[in-house]
Amino acid sequence: MLKSLRQVIKEQFEYRDLIYRMATFENKGMYQIHYLGSLWQFLNPAIQVAIYWFVFGTIRGGAPVDGTPFFLWLIIGLIPWFFISPSIIQASNSIYQKVGLVSKMNFPVSLLPTIRIIGNSIQFLVMLVILLVICIFYGLEPTIYNLQFIYYLFCLYAFLFAFSLLSSTIATLIRDYQMALQSLMRMLLYVSPILWNTSLITESFTKYGPLIENILKLNPLFYIIEGFRDSILGGGWFFEDLIYMGYFWTLTFAFLYFGAKVHMKFRKNFMEYM
Amino acid sequence: MKTKVSFKNVYKSFELHAKKSEKILNLFAMSKKKGKEFLALREVSFEIHEGETMGIVGLNGSGKSTVSNILAGVIQPTRGSVKINGETSLIAISAGLNGSLTGMENIELKCMMHGLSKEKIKEVTPDIIDFADIGQYIHQPVKDYSSGMKSRLGFAISVHTDPDILIIDEALSVGDSTFAQKCLNKMEDFKKQGKTIVFISHSASQMKEFCDRVIWLHYGEVKEMGDSTEVVENYQAFTQWFNKLSNKDKLAHKNEMLGKQVSHHVEKSPKRNRIKLSLNLFKNIIVLIPVIVMGILLLTNY
Repeated sequence: MLKSLRQVIKEQFEYRDLIYRMATFENKGMYQIHYLGSLWQFLNPAIQVAIYWFVFGTIRGGAPVDGTPFFLWLIIGLIPWFFISPSIIQASNSIYQKVGLVSKMNFPVSLLPTIRIIGNSIQFLVMLVILLVICIFYGLEPTIYNLQFIYYLFCLYAFLFAFSLLSSTIATLIRDYQMALQSLMRMLLYVSPILWNTSLITESFTKYGPLIENILKLNPLFYIIEGFRDSILGGGWFFEDLIYMGYFWTLTFAFLYFGAKVHMKFRKNFMEYM
Repeated sequence: MKTKVSFKNVYKSFELHAKKSEKILNLFAMSKKKGKEFLALREVSFEIHEGETMGIVGLNGSGKSTVSNILAGVIQPTRGSVKINGETSLIAISAGLNGSLTGMENIELKCMMHGLSKEKIKEVTPDIIDFADIGQYIHQPVKDYSSGMKSRLGFAISVHTDPDILIIDEALSVGDSTFAQKCLNKMEDFKKQGKTIVFISHSASQMKEFCDRVIWLHYGEVKEMGDSTEVVENYQAFTQWFNKLSNKDKLAHKNEMLGKQVSHHVEKSPKRNRIKLSLNLFKNIIVLIPVIVMGILLLTNY
């Protein structure tokens, strides 16, 4: 039943060295044409943080969220988002973009989305260090809850890998999908708990409020971003909400299962759908 | 002698779609409408032995590149069997270099993708630079290269990745005669090492000199196969005859041959086993049920 899945995962482990080398290489090429070079990797997010802080901070009137200063609350959600959003879009496009180059070689196509995810991870790692500095600056005390950061990091990578495997195949076969995905990602920024606290819904719609919030929770990115906040600010343990945890993992597994299946089915014929 | 490549009754058809939406419908096998298809290869059968150099000649659109793409594994045949014993490496003009990287970086990247280790790359890089012979440009981005430089670099990289079966698809036609000679010498080396080479070119003299046997493809079919001098001379006789025709006759001949390649009766692949299909559906449902159950639990959990 899991033959294609095992094959795809085996390839990732077998070629892990190549994935890493290709990722650093692509990063080098991407920013070479700019004068400021890889500085743009951090200039872009900084500009975005500034504008979101200005707009959404003003709307809130500078009030803290559950006792956390708004800027700190915002940046804990935004930093994973700056990694997730481009990774999903680029990884989905990766097979379409590179298959012409790769098909003439003995190179497993399933590595292409992973290479994009790993390539973006380097920037993500640096931003996490910046986040740590900001946390120290705000005088955040380390707690036992910080340990679950590793669990949520694992959730993040598992989801990104599973989703981009399915997504990259669909994007190669049907080009309209990539357009739809870009719109979807833009929308998800506003319905995830990144820029505003979704518990506001419960206050605004008294009767159906919790139901609406639960609908937003169907978005798996909600789970990851709330998880990052819980692990940094110490909101609660990941095993406290078993239903949500079960939902997230069964969904990720479904993406992985169908992703591996369609990928293996079409991988030999990708060139004919170009 | 060991058989390296064997084609048996290979057919390759490309579906001709009037609209983009037909392609999608066909993908999911929902369309009942029978489309047209273009037969790029019809009943192509041949064998290539170890250490042999096989040439392929033919007019434009006769299926040469389709054969080379099937050999390289870029595309799959529609029907028939293809057996390849060994690793193939395709060298074509569009070598797939990354324009924003420098020549040096492209060498590293392409070797990496061919699966060479770091040490091995260090070892072959000077050879590649030497072979490409493009001077200081090796440190410039590839987008600034002339077309000749690009093909030089592409060819140099491909021959140094130690292929087992080499497919050369008109890659020598861009470089000047000095570079072509260099490549031919390199290929002679490969021949001496006992490597199998498939050589696609329009140059009759290179074909005669270099190949052991030649296949003449004519509108998707094998017209002749055999000793290189004989086949190439017959092919040249044909092109001369064709060139002497009046424009009207040329067109009539072309249309007649192309008409044979378009078929209106699309043979759908035999229907898949029903039991297998429903088993597949059952597996999909098993994976989806937990997601739906957990989703509903999550929604009602307040």
